[in-house]
Amino acid sequence: MANRELTTYEKKELTGNEPTRPGRTYMPDVDIYETAESLWLRANMPGVDEDAIEVNVANGILSLEGRVAIQDYENLVPVYTEYNVGNYTRRFTLSHEIDTERIAAHMKHGVLEVELPKTAQAKPRRISVAAQ
Amino acid sequence: MPLSRFSAEFDPLDMLLSLQQDLARVFENPSGFDLGISGRGGFPLVNVFSESDSYVVRLEVPGIVPEQTTVESQGRTLLISGTRDDALPEGASYHRHERNLGRFSRAIQFPDELDLGRAEASYRNGILTIRIPKKDEAKPRQITVQAA
Repeated sequence: MANRELTTYEKKELTGNEPTRPGRTYMPDVDIYETAESLWLRANMPGVDEDAIEVNVANGILSLEGRVAIQDYENLVPVYTEYNVGNYTRRFTLSHEIDTERIAAHMKHGVLEVELPKTAQAKPRRISVAAQ
Repeated sequence: MPLSRFSAEFDPLDMLLSLQQDLARVFENPSGFDLGISGRGGFPLVNVFSESDSYVVRLEVPGIVPEQTTVESQGRTLLISGTRDDALPEGASYHRHERNLGRFSRAIQFPDELDLGRAEASYRNGILTIRIPKKDEAKPRQITVQAA
């Protein structure tokens, strides 16, 4: 992994339901991976403070929202720019295999990590084979 | 030249829209300010701002280890490099993989009026910020008008 050179990419702008106020909202880049116990989600939301994050679950939909700290730009005049800045939103449909009561999230260095524990029935269960 | 000013009773959403428009405008028309940034658009992307007495460089690199990131200055050039590695726990498998991982490096050349020797770097909320003060001669200076 560490040997690859990172290449440039563009931020994905949110399409679909438009917010009522103008201004671009972006979809954070997300990694989703699975362990035996849970599904995990990591979302890049640089510029978002941990108290400016909202993680909600309703009707089987997980929604992530992050508001960027706009005060960090006060009195700054852009001189050369390669990227734009905006709030982040992304939604995911959760399968029934997720125990929504035990979803946990924390934020560090601009990365939101969400743990989506699997329900007991969803975990891999080894069935012992009895000898006849 | 700045066309927007953040007013005292600011509305965060208007401020955001204003900032987005400024950033887009400067992206389309880099204001004749030639920073000689090598490989424009390499990772991580860079924004440069000016304040009254310094320049502020911002890079969005969430999820790096600040102590393992190198920021060095050599003459008029600022070099930023590091690695972004976010290992999965053992036995885990990806369903979706969008966050790019790997090595990165950018070199930015600054005009003479900046004092790179006094640059300071900080990392917060995934944004690497480097503040470079202008040399004393380059700072705006008030000239008093003497009554003759």
